[in-house]
Amino acid sequence: MGLMKEAYQALESIVGPEYVSEDPVVCEAYSPSRGGHGKDTAVETVLGEVPICVILPGSTEEVQKIVKICNRYKISFVPASTYWVTHAGPRASNVLLIDLKRMNRMEIDEKNMYAVVEPGVILSQLQEQAMRRGLYITVGGGGAQASVLANLLVWSLSPLNYKNGLPNRRLLGVEWVSADGEILRLGSLATSNSYFWGEGPGPDLRGILRGYIGWFGGLGIVTKIGTKLLPFQPERLEPVGISPDTTLQLPTNRMRWCNFTMPSREALVNAMYEIGNNEIGAAVTKVPLIWRYRARAKSKDEFWRLWEKSGKEDEVATFHILRVLLIGYTSEKQLEYEERVLMDIIKEYGGEARRTRQTDESWLKNADSARMWLTAGTYMSVYGHVETLACSLKGGEAYAKRKRQYTPPLMDDFGEPGWFQLTENGHMGYLEFLTHWEPYEIDEKGRHRVDEWYFIAGPKLDIEKGLYNFFNITYSPLYLVGPEYGPNYHVWMLKIKEALDPNGISNPPYPRCIDELVERCDWLKY
Amino acid sequence: MTKIKKEFNLDVTDINNFRYDAERCVGCKGCVWVDHIYMPGVEFGIKCPSLARYSFDAYAAYGREKIILGLLDGKYDYTARLLDILYKCTLCGACDAGCKRNLDLEPLLVLEAARVKCVRDGKGPMPEQKKIAENIDKSHNRYGSPHANRSKWLPKDVKPATKADIVYFVGCASSYVHTEIAQATARILTNTNTKFMLLDSEEWCCGYPLYSTGQVDAFKKQVEHNIEAVKKSGASTVLVSCAEGYKTWKVDYPKLLGKSTDDLGFKVMHLVEYIDQLIKDGSLRFNNQINMKVTYHDPCNLGRLSEPWVQWEGRRGKWGVTEPPKPIRRGTYGIYEPPREILRSIPGIELVEMVRIRENAWCCGAGAGVRDAFRDFALWSAGERLKEAKTTGAEAIVVCCPHCKENFGESIEAGKEKIKVYDISELLYKAVRK
Amino acid sequence: MQIKEKLKQAVGAELVSDSPGTLKAYSKDYSLLPPGMSNYAVLPKSAEEVQKVIKIANEHLIPVIPCSSEVHFTGSTIPKQGGIILDLNRMNRIPEIDERNRKAKIEPGVTWKEFQAALGEHNFMMMTPLLPHSKKSVLTSLLEREPLINPRYEYGDPLLAMEIVLPNGDLFKTGSASAPGYPQSFSEGAQPQGPGTIDFYRLLQGAQGTMGVVTWANVKVENLPKISKTFFIPFPEIEDAIEPIYRIQRRRIGYECFLMDKFNLALIVAERQPEDFESLIATLPPWILILILSAAGRRPEERIEYEEEALTEIMKVEFPFLEIWEALPGVPGLEMQLPQMLKKPWPEEVTYWKFRHKGACQDLFCITTLDRVPQFVTVVGEIAGRHGYDVTALGHYVQPIEFGAGCHCEFNFYYDPQNPVEVERIKVLYREAVENLLNMGALFTRPYGISSDLVYSRATSYTVTLRKIKNIFDPNNIMNPGNLCF
Repeated sequence: MGLMKEAYQALESIVGPEYVSEDPVVCEAYSPSRGGHGKDTAVETVLGEVPICVILPGSTEEVQKIVKICNRYKISFVPASTYWVTHAGPRASNVLLIDLKRMNRMEIDEKNMYAVVEPGVILSQLQEQAMRRGLYITVGGGGAQASVLANLLVWSLSPLNYKNGLPNRRLLGVEWVSADGEILRLGSLATSNSYFWGEGPGPDLRGILRGYIGWFGGLGIVTKIGTKLLPFQPERLEPVGISPDTTLQLPTNRMRWCNFTMPSREALVNAMYEIGNNEIGAAVTKVPLIWRYRARAKSKDEFWRLWEKSGKEDEVATFHILRVLLIGYTSEKQLEYEERVLMDIIKEYGGEARRTRQTDESWLKNADSARMWLTAGTYMSVYGHVETLACSLKGGEAYAKRKRQYTPPLMDDFGEPGWFQLTENGHMGYLEFLTHWEPYEIDEKGRHRVDEWYFIAGPKLDIEKGLYNFFNITYSPLYLVGPEYGPNYHVWMLKIKEALDPNGISNPPYPRCIDELVERCDWLKY
Repeated sequence: MTKIKKEFNLDVTDINNFRYDAERCVGCKGCVWVDHIYMPGVEFGIKCPSLARYSFDAYAAYGREKIILGLLDGKYDYTARLLDILYKCTLCGACDAGCKRNLDLEPLLVLEAARVKCVRDGKGPMPEQKKIAENIDKSHNRYGSPHANRSKWLPKDVKPATKADIVYFVGCASSYVHTEIAQATARILTNTNTKFMLLDSEEWCCGYPLYSTGQVDAFKKQVEHNIEAVKKSGASTVLVSCAEGYKTWKVDYPKLLGKSTDDLGFKVMHLVEYIDQLIKDGSLRFNNQINMKVTYHDPCNLGRLSEPWVQWEGRRGKWGVTEPPKPIRRGTYGIYEPPREILRSIPGIELVEMVRIRENAWCCGAGAGVRDAFRDFALWSAGERLKEAKTTGAEAIVVCCPHCKENFGESIEAGKEKIKVYDISELLYKAVRK
Repeated sequence: MQIKEKLKQAVGAELVSDSPGTLKAYSKDYSLLPPGMSNYAVLPKSAEEVQKVIKIANEHLIPVIPCSSEVHFTGSTIPKQGGIILDLNRMNRIPEIDERNRKAKIEPGVTWKEFQAALGEHNFMMMTPLLPHSKKSVLTSLLEREPLINPRYEYGDPLLAMEIVLPNGDLFKTGSASAPGYPQSFSEGAQPQGPGTIDFYRLLQGAQGTMGVVTWANVKVENLPKISKTFFIPFPEIEDAIEPIYRIQRRRIGYECFLMDKFNLALIVAERQPEDFESLIATLPPWILILILSAAGRRPEERIEYEEEALTEIMKVEFPFLEIWEALPGVPGLEMQLPQMLKKPWPEEVTYWKFRHKGACQDLFCITTLDRVPQFVTVVGEIAGRHGYDVTALGHYVQPIEFGAGCHCEFNFYYDPQNPVEVERIKVLYREAVENLLNMGALFTRPYGISSDLVYSRATSYTVTLRKIKNIFDPNNIMNPGNLCF
């Protein structure tokens, strides 16, 4: 079908012919099958579409002009910063994909501890520049390759949030091209030209920009944000090694990873609570068994050889590793103090220290999410939350139990109750439940069961147990979960969507993607 | 219904061997970003020149793989744009090393196989690259210069042996254009009392311009001839001073022949490996000081692409597990240290490093037919690398390949840059000569 | 049925009033805003009753003005278009103190005094703003985003999940309390975000009751310290204080930390007025940074020790010309009293410190970066002086927020509320000061009265969008109209 000739010409006049294309070959590069999280499920296979046109603006002004043209000609659009998840790509036909990679400016105010970034800046880039200044950020579990801006507007969770706080707290001033083409300025930007603060004036409109999760470009395009940089420690983390064994060496006088074996899951949880209670540490996390095998393996083949030989069910039931990151923010003495307190706690709960490499390649600068696909070539999390640690354990166990009904086709992980950690000094916990499946030796029924697990079984379990899943919206039917939560939070979301995107062109059909799937797929009924 | 081959091998003449790899790409862009552990910031944060230059995702491995799948699935036929996308790429392997940091996929083989398919379907390569093939066919060198002049570079003070363990395979570029590299190499060998032979008129183009542009059938001719020539010579080691030649002999020759590098019947060695050995066993003497601050550019073909080829065939089963386990060349064991060791050893040289080094190196822009078909892109890439080199404060950028030297040289001249480019052989010779 | 009858049915006959005497009490507060009469005042006891009142209001398009504190300083609870005062004081339970997860549930009528006392029994405390009035509602402080005196917590906001009555009368829970079946659910209401793509709590914070009514909130609580050690750092000029604050905060040292001028500190610590006050003004240094090191967990002495060592090192090495005291001259024992004092509201039996000087105080506050504070101080001082305000009696309070990433910069104008000349002076200079500070990049994230108009007229795109959102939640504009930009 293609864009109207006049519309295409108008777009071309904004960015120049070099930065816009409706060539089907060029557009195919943005195929939904490259979308990371969500790949191989119905969100990709049924809803995903190749964009009809791709455009690369270089500035906020260009973005605004593009969005206004879209409103004039009723062209649906979706913004993509790095296109790391399926929701960054089109899930409807005839969508213009606005690739924001050229907008990659970054500025840092070291004194007042914030950075201003455009969508093309990724987490490892900002982390490096922050660390050079004795500051740091949370690199979200989505991966170091995620856009700082996009990640913060959607998820951005990590063990580092134990000290760095929830992601919505780290969002400062915002420059936002709304879906109808106006420029909104939030926080300090509303009345000045600084990005240093996020609140207000008055009611905080960051509250409609993101909640537990974001809009994925469904309310327009955020073109610039201020984001917090947190005080760190001054010593350099030296990068060493050659791929695939690259890692950061910790300056052990100021930073240390500590691994402990705990005698039981209960002891592990109690120790975690006590650590939070004492406000020590910079990250406190429990390690799922499968991750240990994946970290040890040099390749997928080696992983499976090790995994096949492992103690499986027994090991999952008895393997309780607690990992704590200590940072001497204030001084070396702080590190030493915290280590003493930590050892007191571990001893009290019957744990034992394990030999721990003093390096990091998984959380501080490189959050190793791509490696999640090594195991099976597929991966998606069905559940994630920030809630109390106790809820995290209960939720994980509930999911592990329900998962048995879907294994196979899901990969067996022998009752692992997910991955949990502490958030905000132990005031909250965190749970994520990650699953894999075999993508090729699976029949249609198996593929449908996988979809059902993610898009129906998970949401239903959430409702049944009163769990709070941050994959709601992206992977739950809005009309299934919406009435149950709030209740009726979906009503407000849809009203806001209607008010700010009157032509309904910003990332359709979000937030009703899964409802669309339910309509189209007879294997996804509830 | 899956189109993935269960039984497969690493033969690039059948692109379906790599369908799994293209399909399993998850778009993490490890193929584009400098390893996050080393990530410096926005500047110098990308290692894929074509993506940096052309911006659309089509110009990165993750985009090319989806485009190739679209072609295979009949979504569209070949177009000028598609060929532009596939050929505006130096096959530098930054994508391959980056992807393999986390996964076990083969993006580079997908790209190589795609070019083979293009050529066999009669759509590729680029006209300029076809012309190079004609030159090679006619004159056994990429330039179309008289084959009889191939050894004209040889200086009077160098006397190759008629019989030796080492045969110095000079390569087209050093034979005809950057003869200073051949001369320096030959003189270094002489200076270190290393006996070496030349193949003279039996030396044909190694075939890199053919293999790298997908012209495997023409490539085969070169391979067969050159291997025969080496066998006849009785040499146990093929020594090269060109990174393109190095990788072609060490990796692509056995690949085409369905063998492993170890089964070639001779060793392939770059000058820097040889000299590094001499330095380690104390038999190399530096007689002169060179006071210069330099930075070293890792040539792709000597660095991340240079691990030995391991022939393999087998089966892919559940979870993608291969049986027997497929060897994965991740670029870990590229020739990174020997040239650095050499530079550190030369009295007076101060070696400073750029940001994107070793397996993260930014390609000079010359390889895989790009300099022939897309000169402006090649020079742009060189210009970007020189920008990076200048941030180190280095007076010169040192390379191990005449093609890198040529491309940097042209960029320096065009931009009237102060920074110089040397091949390592030149500095070595200056340092060792009496 | 008449509105009054309906209200009586909703909350109980004795809990509805339209008597002028009762309504007069709600018609004014300690701000400079003119009084406004409501039509009714009601005192609901439960969320259901609140819902009923709001539904009645929607039916008759009559405004609702929620208030929970017995004291108000900003004018936001003065009815601007008549309406129903929804006094939430009877909703003053503390239904839960969750020790394991360090959170508590409070209703809107719970005061600081009540809450800290209840928490104290569990060895807990709540992070506080600076000496709130004892009758101030904790929830009001949190909803108003009052800065806490502890800049240590990088995730500063203690507010978690809440139950709210939306402007259409629907009952709604925010954050993880929105999960079905709460509180019997697995979810325990420990997280504020969402549900969905909306942070509902953010729309209620700073809203001055215009976006709904909170009927309870879960809040974070902290352990009471076992040991505290107070330090005072004196400065001759405010410029001298800025860099030390940056450096100390950057090293994550201490809990409570704020900068104050001697006038305000004298008001706070003077035991008897005016003699103590005069003597303190004579002896106190012009500016004082108060920094309290605290340790609540294990090995508390060791915690204090390493922080103190770092603090001493910073002062010795980086600011060798500055002093650091463990006691404040002229106020013996203050170093021991302050840690306790700052965890409680202002004592009920003592005149509120801001009223001690002249009986009333108009606060002007904004958010800015520390490095701008000295110029703000200069400009406000100049404006005040020009309008005849005695600048030696102008109070200053600078509260670093989140390790000094920003700060709350507060000016206190003390005046005699019975003196119309002084009242008028304050109004005029306040407006000029706000305008000037806005031009200098100050953020008025909590605009009240005059500053609302000045702020929203600049924040054009924000204002337009905010009104759209307001219109979605409150299409009848019944929730406290006439405030902010509504």
